[in-house]
Amino acid sequence: MNRINFERFFETEKQKIFGTDFFADAEDYEAWDEIDFESQEDIPGEQTFEVKAEDLKYYAAGVLDDNPFMTDEEYARNSPYGGLIPHPVFLTQITFWCIGVKGRGNWIRTPGARNPGQEVEIYEPFRVGEIIHIKMRPHDRWIKRKKYYLNYKIDFYNQDNVKKACWIVELVLPKSKEDIRKFIKGIRGVEV
Amino acid sequence: MEKLTFDSLQVGDALPSISHTVKQETFWKYAVGSFDYNPVHCDPDWVSTAQPFGIPQTVAHGMMTWSFMVTVATNWAYPSTATITKITSKFLRPVPAGTTMTCSGIVSEKHVIRPGKHFVVVELKAENQDGDLLGVSQAEIVFPE
Amino acid sequence: MEKVTFDSVQVGQALPSLSHTVSQETFWKNAVASFDYNPVHCDPEWVATAQPFGIPQTVAHGMMTMSFMVSVAANWAFPAMLKITRMQSKFVRPVPAGTTVTCTGVISEKHVISPGKNFVVLELKAENQNNEILGLCKTTVVFPD
Repeated sequence: MNRINFERFFETEKQKIFGTDFFADAEDYEAWDEIDFESQEDIPGEQTFEVKAEDLKYYAAGVLDDNPFMTDEEYARNSPYGGLIPHPVFLTQITFWCIGVKGRGNWIRTPGARNPGQEVEIYEPFRVGEIIHIKMRPHDRWIKRKKYYLNYKIDFYNQDNVKKACWIVELVLPKSKEDIRKFIKGIRGVEV
Repeated sequence: MEKLTFDSLQVGDALPSISHTVKQETFWKYAVGSFDYNPVHCDPDWVSTAQPFGIPQTVAHGMMTWSFMVTVATNWAYPSTATITKITSKFLRPVPAGTTMTCSGIVSEKHVIRPGKHFVVVELKAENQDGDLLGVSQAEIVFPE
Repeated sequence: MEKVTFDSVQVGQALPSLSHTVSQETFWKNAVASFDYNPVHCDPEWVATAQPFGIPQTVAHGMMTMSFMVSVAANWAFPAMLKITRMQSKFVRPVPAGTTVTCTGVISEKHVISPGKNFVVLELKAENQNNEILGLCKTTVVFPD
């Protein structure tokens, strides 16, 4: 996938660091039939996310939203919000960053995964300057109409352990490592 | 009925259905059984003008329709010592006396968690003699290890 | 924009809609914005054979379609200092490049709890140029008064 040039779109610091090849480590992605539901422990992400103005602004632009509360620092500073506020679905950027590549939760990167819909609760909007860490755990796993669903519950906390949001991240996945390998090779590994 | 195990179940499996023809007397007996003496179920005189549902007949308790649907699930689950942990319902049409209600269900989802916590979701429905949907319900049923 | 109060809003009220025509470049930029470089959005060559959705084209990120829908809510809520607390989405159809996504929203429920806890539910929808539904999103918006 390195044949696609994303660099021309990069503007933020994190974008220059985060890897763009979702195939490279796909052999290590958690497969649907391998998820451990036994442990009741919270799992941390691979890294934390420091919220910067450029992150919020780029996300809004990435979803074609020019809302000044999300994109115009001066406008937002002079508003009752006192500063930029994120697009409510901004936590997508936080999630992919924090989950990283090799750690638990990396099934969200699986080539061949399909997004059926999501459920998010926001307690307090993320603000510039906060350092976010996540705690996640397997939540549910099921088969419906020949599709294999998995979700994890992810809680988002700031540096003071204030809970900011909760996302039950859900995808339809290839069933097993074998099916993921088909997708890595460019062959369909799920029923449609 | 042989004991069901979580592994033996398949999404799409149909549960045995049941049928009841309901009358005013059924509604009265349910009122006594539930302490719900609301006149919409019990008082034909009152209902002929008050018409909360826009029809001049008494109607079945929603909770009775729901109970019928859930019976489909308990008939299927209890002999295998499975437990019903969560049920939701939606009542779509009023059920006047004289209705023959047929309730059926299918296994719609299989949740593979871990032994003792695996569960299925069963989609239940109640239809009248014309095939119109009277109500729907979802039940989560946990299977023992 | 005039002040929006809980008392002033009505069930059935429509929110201003928005429209975006998406291209492969939109998908690439959204990949960078979200760190989601899944090839189903980014790699036309791979998708031509892998076809996770059974079609040979790349498709929009579900989270981008959801973001479009939620923008309809945010455009309304942010200037009035209302708080978006919950979003529940469903992605109904894949969105290939070239689609014009039009998002609309309507206030569907008014929940009268107590000042500071009152909220409305918005039903948001994304459709393509043929009026087919691409996605739906239910959003809870809490009023400060």
